[in-house]
Amino acid sequence: MAKTIAQEFTKGLWKEIPPFRLVLGLCPVLGVTTTMENGIGMGLATTFVLICSNILISALRKIIPPKVRIACFIIIIATFVIVVELVMQAYAYPLFLTLGLFIPLIVVNCIVLGRAEAFASRNGIVRSIADGLGMGIGFTLSLAALGGIREVLGTGSFYLYGHGGLVFGPSFEPFTFVIQAPGAFVCLGLMLCIMNLFE
Amino acid sequence: MYTALFFMLGLGFLCGAMLSIASKVFYVYEDPRIAEVEGFMAAGNCGGCGYTGCSAAAAAVVAGKAPPRVCVAADAEAAANIAAIMGVDPGTAEAILSYNTCTGGNRAADKYFYTSINSCQALATIYGGKRECEVGCLGFGDCVSACIFNALKLGPEGYPVVDDIKCVGCGACERVCPKDIMEIKTMSQRLLHLNQFDDRIAPCQQTCPAEIDIPKYISQIKKGDYEGAVNTIRERNPLLLSCGRVCPHPCEDKCRRGIEDEAVSINQMKRFVADYEMNSGRRFPIPCAPSTGKKVAVVGGGPAGLSCAYFLRRLGHDVTILDAVPMLGGMIRYGIPEYRLPKEVLAWEIQGILDLGIEHKPNLMLGRDFDVESLMKDGYDAVFLGIGAWKDFNLGVEGENLKGCYTGIDFLTNFALWQQGDGAEEQPFVGQKCVVIGGGNTAIDCVRTLVRLGSKEVSIVYRRTLKEMPANMVEIEAAEHEGIQFTFLAAPTRVIGDEEGNATRLEYLKMELGEPDASGRRRPVPIEGSESTIDIDMLITAIGQGPDVFFKDESKLLAEDLNVTRWNTIDSADPVALQSSIPYIFTGGDSATGAALVVSAIGGGRRAARSIHMYITGEEVTPPAKTLFTDNIPVSIFESVEGIEKSARTKMPELPVDERIKSFDEADLVITEEEALYESNRCLQCCLICYNKDVA
Amino acid sequence: MSEMGYFQIIISCIFVNNILLAKFLGNCPFLGTSRKMETAVGMAMAVVFVLVLAGAITWIIYHYFLVPFDLVYLRTIAFILVIAALVQFVELFLKKSIPVLYAGLGIFLPLITTNCAVLGACVINIDEELSFMKSLFASFGFAVGFGLALILFAGVRERITLARVPKPLQDTSIGLVTAGLIALAFFSFNGMV
Repeated sequence: MAKTIAQEFTKGLWKEIPPFRLVLGLCPVLGVTTTMENGIGMGLATTFVLICSNILISALRKIIPPKVRIACFIIIIATFVIVVELVMQAYAYPLFLTLGLFIPLIVVNCIVLGRAEAFASRNGIVRSIADGLGMGIGFTLSLAALGGIREVLGTGSFYLYGHGGLVFGPSFEPFTFVIQAPGAFVCLGLMLCIMNLFE
Repeated sequence: MYTALFFMLGLGFLCGAMLSIASKVFYVYEDPRIAEVEGFMAAGNCGGCGYTGCSAAAAAVVAGKAPPRVCVAADAEAAANIAAIMGVDPGTAEAILSYNTCTGGNRAADKYFYTSINSCQALATIYGGKRECEVGCLGFGDCVSACIFNALKLGPEGYPVVDDIKCVGCGACERVCPKDIMEIKTMSQRLLHLNQFDDRIAPCQQTCPAEIDIPKYISQIKKGDYEGAVNTIRERNPLLLSCGRVCPHPCEDKCRRGIEDEAVSINQMKRFVADYEMNSGRRFPIPCAPSTGKKVAVVGGGPAGLSCAYFLRRLGHDVTILDAVPMLGGMIRYGIPEYRLPKEVLAWEIQGILDLGIEHKPNLMLGRDFDVESLMKDGYDAVFLGIGAWKDFNLGVEGENLKGCYTGIDFLTNFALWQQGDGAEEQPFVGQKCVVIGGGNTAIDCVRTLVRLGSKEVSIVYRRTLKEMPANMVEIEAAEHEGIQFTFLAAPTRVIGDEEGNATRLEYLKMELGEPDASGRRRPVPIEGSESTIDIDMLITAIGQGPDVFFKDESKLLAEDLNVTRWNTIDSADPVALQSSIPYIFTGGDSATGAALVVSAIGGGRRAARSIHMYITGEEVTPPAKTLFTDNIPVSIFESVEGIEKSARTKMPELPVDERIKSFDEADLVITEEEALYESNRCLQCCLICYNKDVA
Repeated sequence: MSEMGYFQIIISCIFVNNILLAKFLGNCPFLGTSRKMETAVGMAMAVVFVLVLAGAITWIIYHYFLVPFDLVYLRTIAFILVIAALVQFVELFLKKSIPVLYAGLGIFLPLITTNCAVLGACVINIDEELSFMKSLFASFGFAVGFGLALILFAGVRERITLARVPKPLQDTSIGLVTAGLIALAFFSFNGMV
């Protein structure tokens, strides 16, 4: 039953990859994935919070009284979210503006709280880091993939940190629908469907 | 920096203080297991499970409505922990599963052609569906597409088949089915289901007093799944070895094949699988629900008491059986002779029931050694009175107390006690010229016992004719083969004794049959001046028996509050609910109905167990809304049956007469596996109105 | 938004800036509680109730504590703490005092603590620099919008259970596509206010 640390890490990449296998934390997935760059930014921010909170909760898991553990988890998570918020404001202001509201909302991202409760609060620090890292990277990959697809189909172009250009040539009429709100739902739904196909 | 720190501390303190005060002020009791279960959930309150947050999901788990693996964010380990709190393996005893209750499917004929949308819901809006059967499956499989777990598929017979392993009991199929074919039930709910008017059940199952799903166990025998057949029978009847031997099988009277051909030998097949289990060298496991901590006292260890105790135990309650005699079984141990039901077989069967965790306290008689008040003081939550009908009726003629005169139950009980080494040292008296008065099964048991004990002349005196005898026909025939004389249309008027007080002659009046009476049998009318006598040295009267309610006068509470009918049976307002005039006392079996069949007592025990379960879990005790009880569903009873090809019914194997009257060895034998398979193929697999035809 | 009238704010929050379909907030309960109509209605009611309360209380915290003490950067942590405590308090209160309301509505409260719609709406109100009254109206509008979308979606989803959906598309997948179509419908409100 006991998994190796490597397995704890890799399960987040495919077997339990959020938000596809664990259908949690959908809001940022839908909200910020207009480009791959945004997706990666959001994913990394979440990964940072996920790892840090996993470490702290895992370290404090024997001290936190079980009755108020959820409140404690939320406060720990909120602290790291504020850290991310301030760091981003300082060093990646344009990204901060695009992600906007979704940065403070990492606090209520079910994945972070869910991993804290389901994993970090009952496992050692190293394992919790592996779990947080795996889940975080899985989440980042999902966001990047969804962002990439929407960007390519919705704008006809692809840019990553200043590099890139038109994908289908200038005559391509982009599916604006994909980049807008309804497209987010449909794209995610179809991606989920494709993943189910490979079951 | 400091302001921030103070602010957060202050805010945290304020919230904490407010909530802790609120939790004291607004405290409401909750099952502590809910908090424990919630502790193992991922606590994201994500709602992914479909419940409104983790505490709602936890409450659903504790209430048994959700499986332990409900949380989508928690891992397998958490599910195992939750299951450990609930005392169940993930997915066993109380798991809710889906059941298809219609086995008609494509066999049902169509009323009209339908070529529109392939949806049961759409079809059901047009005259309730195209099939003749008003309540049957429509066969388009709305349930199959509603199941997100792929646990359902439309079987080859045109009705849905459930895969128990994949089913999680989510209830999607139940919600979409327009005909309510699909039922989401726990094991407990299934054990408690009583036949209802809108059930899809065959005539045999409607007629069986224990409501056994007969077509299902016969189909399991057909497939060679004898263990499955035993389990199906055990959902309704824990005494299958005994019933397989002594049941007069009222179900076979309603067998559809019996309308055109000989009825299927249902009871022989029951006996075959029951014996198969006993001879297999192991006991098939019987699942029980998690313990509820409620205690029930069952007074009387007869078939009704055993049945009631068995079902209550399977529902998770703690049961104690208190019995007046040394060994359990009641009338089936002390009233039914060894040659019909060997004690060894009975002991094996009863041990299986006790092995579920039922306590047995022998030699305790209600009214002598304990009373209902003392039981309630001992912390029992409800009491079942299954005291049976052990008091013989008196003949009411001169000389019936002379030496050599006995009553039926006394004679059989004393003999059984002696045979088992619990009674007198010496063998009870057996005469050479014996007369037994009465026409019921007790009378037949007495004469066949007497023959085996070496009586030279044994006869039955009955005031009506063979046709009116209430005893089982097979028993009467067996008795005739064993050389019993029958004197019909004779009413005893006097027992004549000698100087020493021994009975020597029986005087009787000849009768003739007059007008039918209330029971539909023609009333015997005495012929004036036709007195005759028979020489006897032993007389047994077996003219019926009723419950002995002497215990009622031993207790102030019972004397005042427990209502008893004029037949001395315990009065229950409803024959299905079986609750007495004292709410926590329930009854069933002979003590509720007067002397009746073993299988009726078993059914009564289950009905009482259902009511007791409702009572101690705080529900109102009521019979089901459309209870069928002793009725039949009119549409299911046919005048004639098409498509039957006659085939002979399997004969019951018996010991040869000259061999069997010398000993108490079992007289009726079990059919072979080939015969059981042959017989199972004679079954038409009836549902409510459809059935498999032999020839199309 | 701060220059709009009360009526415009409500219309804008319900239809144009629908919190679920345009702002992508509160999607977890949106997919979780929309399987059955009853649950959806209960959830919608509970969100209206909590969101208005939370909108008021976070506005007060922000404008009377965080701004004067120059602690604006603590906004996220202070809000989530206050909302969590508030929800828990309301739950305890309802359970004891108004069991009828609790049975219909209270059981949805735990879901709301971690519902980003609530925190999100509060943060939006602050970001848009609305006055107290306007932020109350906006909160109400967002909540009604959430409820409307949820109930519409639940209605469609109940029908979907009867449809023959291809296997890989079943459940969440078809749910998301459906949500996309509903979002497309809401898209037509764009430019109304």
